Amino acid sequence: MQIARINRLTPYFFLAPAIIVMAVALLYPIGYMVWASFLDWNPSQRIGEADFVGLRNYAKLLNDAAFLESFWVTVKFAAVVVVLEMILGVGLAMLLDRQLRGMTLLRTIFILPMMIAPIVVGLMWRYMYHPSVGLFNRTLKSFGLEPVPWLSDGTWAFASIVIADIWQWTPFIFILSLAALQSLPRSAMEAARIDGASGWQLIWFIKLPLMLPVLIVTALLRLIDAFKVLEVILVMTNGGPGLSTEILALRISRTASEFRELGTAAAMSNLLLILLMALTLAMFTYTKISEARAARLRAAASKDH
Amino acid sequence: MFQSTKALVGLSVSAVLTCSVAFANPYEPYAGTTLVVNFPAHPHYNAVMEILPQFTEETGINVEVDQLEYLKMRERQTLELTKDKGDYDLVAYVVFSKADYVFADQLENLAKYFMNPRLADPTYDAGDLIDGYVANIGVAGGEKGYLPGQTGSLFGIPFGAETSVLAYRKDIFEKLGLKVPTTYDELLDVACKIPQLEPGMGGMATRAASGHHASHAFLLHLAPLGGRVFDAEWNPIINSPEGVAAAKALKTLVDCGPEGGATFGPAEAAASFQQGKSAMFMDSIAFAAGFEDPSKSTVVGKVGYAMHPEGVRRGSQTGGFGIGIPANAQHKEAAFLLMQWLTNKKQDLAIAMAGGNPSRFSTYQNAELNAKYPYSATFGEALKYADPDWRPIIPTWGAINADIGTTMSKVLTEGLDPQEALDGVAERARAIMDDAGYYTWSK
Repeated sequence: MQIARINRLTPYFFLAPAIIVMAVALLYPIGYMVWASFLDWNPSQRIGEADFVGLRNYAKLLNDAAFLESFWVTVKFAAVVVVLEMILGVGLAMLLDRQLRGMTLLRTIFILPMMIAPIVVGLMWRYMYHPSVGLFNRTLKSFGLEPVPWLSDGTWAFASIVIADIWQWTPFIFILSLAALQSLPRSAMEAARIDGASGWQLIWFIKLPLMLPVLIVTALLRLIDAFKVLEVILVMTNGGPGLSTEILALRISRTASEFRELGTAAAMSNLLLILLMALTLAMFTYTKISEARAARLRAAASKDH
Repeated sequence: MFQSTKALVGLSVSAVLTCSVAFANPYEPYAGTTLVVNFPAHPHYNAVMEILPQFTEETGINVEVDQLEYLKMRERQTLELTKDKGDYDLVAYVVFSKADYVFADQLENLAKYFMNPRLADPTYDAGDLIDGYVANIGVAGGEKGYLPGQTGSLFGIPFGAETSVLAYRKDIFEKLGLKVPTTYDELLDVACKIPQLEPGMGGMATRAASGHHASHAFLLHLAPLGGRVFDAEWNPIINSPEGVAAAKALKTLVDCGPEGGATFGPAEAAASFQQGKSAMFMDSIAFAAGFEDPSKSTVVGKVGYAMHPEGVRRGSQTGGFGIGIPANAQHKEAAFLLMQWLTNKKQDLAIAMAGGNPSRFSTYQNAELNAKYPYSATFGEALKYADPDWRPIIPTWGAINADIGTTMSKVLTEGLDPQEALDGVAERARAIMDDAGYYTWSK
């Protein structure tokens, strides 16, 4: 009896350290943040001195035109960069999934942008976009074209940060897609070729569906990252002109340090967290559903035989 | 052996005692103390670092300096000052921190130190300190809460403070036969004439980047053109005709300025002037030294300085840093001695000679300093009109400042109508102020 109970409890003993670490390292800070979002907390106060204001911070945010604009900018930014990076990254992987001489070197060069510190990336692009001495405008001028207001016009500034982000993060998608491609079962590809599938058909009906689980996770990782990007935009535009490139992470950081409203900043972070969790859940549900569908199809197919 | 050591100790102790009585050295009780101070990475404080070893030599008080980038410094202080026992004995603070620190009771009121005969140096001559700076950075509790007045008291001393002056290219003005502007009408006129007369050269380089810089640039014109952000009862009056005039002035200056000027931060605006791409630059006096540095500047010896032009009144900006003693400091009296030493006449001059910003009128008039930095006399003159109230120093300012900055950026880059823009700012500012309780008495 005694022994049986101990046996039953054993797994929990083994889990305990992990659970404790999790609670301390993950749940405590998140709990702290959730609690802070209910406070009117100024950084000159200790958290204990701050007034409890209930949901006021959240209510204020939902009526704050600047916050809503920056929320919209963030969503737009994340959607645009992830879609473009996925297309470019996967496309590049398809092109380079072959035995070429010097491939290792090429691959290393491709992923260089990812390894550069974000502040440096921001500074680099900022100088390239410089209205008079920047690379782009100088090149345009030497071709006799009109210079472009890269960072001084709202629409162009948004395009400029998208370009910089694509430059930096396409390699991430490329490298993961390439790994996925190279681990695909050769037999499926050979079978398709024997059945007379063309190159495009091979991509559409064999490679992409087989890569899908990896692609979804990749897109998700990029999406989460795109929602939190800060330094590059901070250095390039600092959110301007107007609020045209003020993404949420930047607004949160300004709310905490410039406006000195820690409670509101915490509330914003929570809204961002909720949004990201919803997206993650949606993606996982989608993969679950499509896996279930595939399993059903397989079962039906084996019954037919 | 043992005996003789004892005797020696006794002898030296008595010697020290007689010495201290003989010279009455006010620093002596604190000799051996180690002060920890927090300074920003800033040209003024780099100059301070050069003369600090002298303090230890003269007084026997050691100083450990924690020098940080100024926004980092502010963040660090915010945390430090909320502790029961702080690590810092003396801090340099940005002017807008005055509102936060004084309100949270985190800075020592300096009255008790200046009243203490053992600490206060009778030859200090506080009257010589630049009054606009003291009003802006040092005093709180008077008019509007953040200015001097009957109810105000001193919490810090300006140290590394700045005002605005108009820097212009002497050679270009001479070549084009232009007169150095003394009023706003002349300034706007000249700024737009220059690009026509000298193709490729911008009129005036100014900050304009979205956020703090656009707001700073707008406020720089608001005060001399007769405007204010709030009236005496905290009603936003930024959308007054004066406010609209200031926004229009800024827009004109940016439009007639160097290419791409609508997104310039202070460094880029200064670089544009330094590289000969703009004929004027109106900003802090702290940039002057850089224009005379041949390794960075192509305009060495060609720069003249004039006072911030007059609108309906004279009003140059005030800003920069002050030093104060944290309420949770552990060596407050020694910290006061350091503070007093750093800002006395002799050290103020020494720091200025090393490239720092003077806090005293007498330093600006010093012949030796004028020989080394010929613009000093003009700066001293400009400081007589330094306006301590060119922007409010209140805890809600961060949010309002950011809103002015982003809205002004829309005026500059998206062609938003200035009146409409400022009406929006006023409305949002009213909501922020209401939230913070500024209308409690008018309801």
